[in-house]
Amino acid sequence: MKRLVIGAGLLALSVVPSVSAETIDWLHIESVPSTVEIMEAAAKEYETANPDVKINVQFLENEAYKAKLTTLLQSDAAPDIFYSWGGGVMGDQAKAGVLRTIGEATGDEIRAAIGGAGINAFTRDDALYGLAQNVSEVVFWGNKELLDKAGVSVEDMKTWDGLLASVKKIKEAGITPIAIGSQDKWPAHFYWSYLVVRLAGQDAFDAARTGEGDGFGGDPFVKAGEMFLDLVALEPFQEGHLAADYGTASGHFGDGKAALHLMGNWDYKNQRKSSESGEGLSDDQLVIVPFPTVAGGAGDDGDTLGGINGWIFHRDAPDSAVKFMEWYLSKDVQARFAESATYIPITRGASDTMDNTFFKEISGHINDAKWHAIFFDQELGADVGGVVNDISVELVDNAISAQEAAELVKEAVQDSQ
Amino acid sequence: MTVTPDLPQSRIKSVSDSDPIETAAPQKGAAILKQRFFGKSSVALVLFIPLTLGLFTLLVVVPMIEAASFSFYDWNGYGPMTDFAGLENYGDVLTHRHFSKALRNSFLVIAVSLCVQLPLALWAALALVQNNWGISVIRTLFFLPYMLAEVAAGLMWRFVFDGNYGVVPAVGDMFGVSLPFVLGDKFWVMPAIMLVIVWKYFGFHMMIYIAALQSIPKDVIEAARLDGVSRWKIIWHVQIPMIRSAILITVFFAIIGALQLFDLIIPLSGGGPSHSSHTIVSFLYQFGITRMKLGFGGAVSVILFVVCVAITIGYRHYLTSRKWD
Repeated sequence: MKRLVIGAGLLALSVVPSVSAETIDWLHIESVPSTVEIMEAAAKEYETANPDVKINVQFLENEAYKAKLTTLLQSDAAPDIFYSWGGGVMGDQAKAGVLRTIGEATGDEIRAAIGGAGINAFTRDDALYGLAQNVSEVVFWGNKELLDKAGVSVEDMKTWDGLLASVKKIKEAGITPIAIGSQDKWPAHFYWSYLVVRLAGQDAFDAARTGEGDGFGGDPFVKAGEMFLDLVALEPFQEGHLAADYGTASGHFGDGKAALHLMGNWDYKNQRKSSESGEGLSDDQLVIVPFPTVAGGAGDDGDTLGGINGWIFHRDAPDSAVKFMEWYLSKDVQARFAESATYIPITRGASDTMDNTFFKEISGHINDAKWHAIFFDQELGADVGGVVNDISVELVDNAISAQEAAELVKEAVQDSQ
Repeated sequence: MTVTPDLPQSRIKSVSDSDPIETAAPQKGAAILKQRFFGKSSVALVLFIPLTLGLFTLLVVVPMIEAASFSFYDWNGYGPMTDFAGLENYGDVLTHRHFSKALRNSFLVIAVSLCVQLPLALWAALALVQNNWGISVIRTLFFLPYMLAEVAAGLMWRFVFDGNYGVVPAVGDMFGVSLPFVLGDKFWVMPAIMLVIVWKYFGFHMMIYIAALQSIPKDVIEAARLDGVSRWKIIWHVQIPMIRSAILITVFFAIIGALQLFDLIIPLSGGGPSHSSHTIVSFLYQFGITRMKLGFGGAVSVILFVVCVAITIGYRHYLTSRKWD
């Protein structure tokens, strides 16, 4: 009996540390297995160094994540740390009080490491809600071989008119010019958004989002739709693109079935994962074509569209969650993602060791940009952003006029105010 | 709430172990009431009814009332509802540029369910009503799609319809024709979805019909046959009238199921291309929930609820007002 009591006592003691360990739920949307491996290894490493913390890594697929998050954040199953694109969606979450402000919990060191742009992206009304992790840019990924075959160079696609002429040439060569996953809508919104970045510029965009003047019904926004329709009229996309999601389009490009794919730098890896062979296009076969410039546009030619993504915290997240993220976003950990060309870390110095030429080029574009516009469907919030996605895919489908498209976005802004 | 008028056999037995009918028959008025409300079956009532009612209230009535209350507010789903909008959300729904399309699609699905799915199910049931090994296998094959999860079935058919690697282009190649990407085509997307619906649910209706057909006394059909009535006339004048109640219930299931159609649409077409294949519920999800416009979504759900209730009441009224025999 005595032995039994001692045994039970020892058992209880051995259980105590794991019971008292604080569990941090960390929800991500990363689907590339090699990236997830690095993330999970980092979490394990942190747990080993901090036995009082347990990191529970959770995953939701991108579309499901966006659809479920609102409910999830107000439930008992809310994660402590979760992925965010910043922008209006985060603004809504902050306004609703489901987020934790982390200003008091973060040190100067991490703020300095992330830098002003990263801190600003996750600040609302002077309160800091999250920590930026990476920057991304949307570019045309090009298949060198197919472009060469069609006799088209990167230089030829420097302007929008040049792109249109190139698309015609590619088509004449019997090649599908552009892959697009229209069913997901957001891939189509890159076109309209980028044309707005070029034609309207930052000032007009900021004015429009607050409903000033003609709002999104103004000339540059209508013109963006018209120019997009000029491209659509050339029927540049793969057959059945309206039923293709991002993964399908990415695979289509990775399989060498289309010459161009307008997508963020994450497609560098995704086109491989989604291709039939799993190999996709190698570095030698890929080329970056920056989004074309538009003559006479109010935007700067070097302005970029992309994201500053990072991690935000649920209102009940403990300090240890913030501490974990500070460690995770430190130069040493983030350098692993830079080295494996997963993404371009925002943490200063983390991308110094990055030897991937494509990511270096993209990093250069973002650094040189006067305005790094955040994906409109995130920046404008779920509601207006959703309408931008709607009209974009309807433009791709030639089911709406440029004027109607602009008016619909304008109305959505008015409704949301 | 009605109490079954006939005493169950077990209850009768508990009254007396001698001839149950004779013993139970003399019991009158208060005694029967007492037996009904204080006997063993009332224990079952007390045990099960509150639980069922509680769950029903918690999982159906409360969410319904909540959704209805959302519809009067402008609310993004976060925090308390403060922005009262009156009937504005209803106006927004009814004037939404894609709502009429969603409504039309839902009614199209009802029409196909009633005019194609149910006749097909009835035909299959008549053909497969006999019991033998081979027929059982075919019946199970027809019933299998119903057992598949909707999302799994949707994804499966998405592959079938895929214009690059699917079955559809392969069939086209066999005949040397180029078939369209059906899910990316505004015209073909709804027929494609309806094909999946018929495939998925006709087996369920078929099973109901088979069960009903098998309950028809064999001698009735035998008598008709002896009288020289043709096979077709037996079906039309004997079998179908005798499974009338089964048909009526499947019509009801088909209508309500069609109005609630959602989980096949999302994996198949996501409501696209250009919102051409939304049903009322996928419209609600797309423009209400994912847009964080829960007031708008609430208004759609109330409209759907009213339509469902109107159909239910109308259908009941139609059934009770008709003299069937």
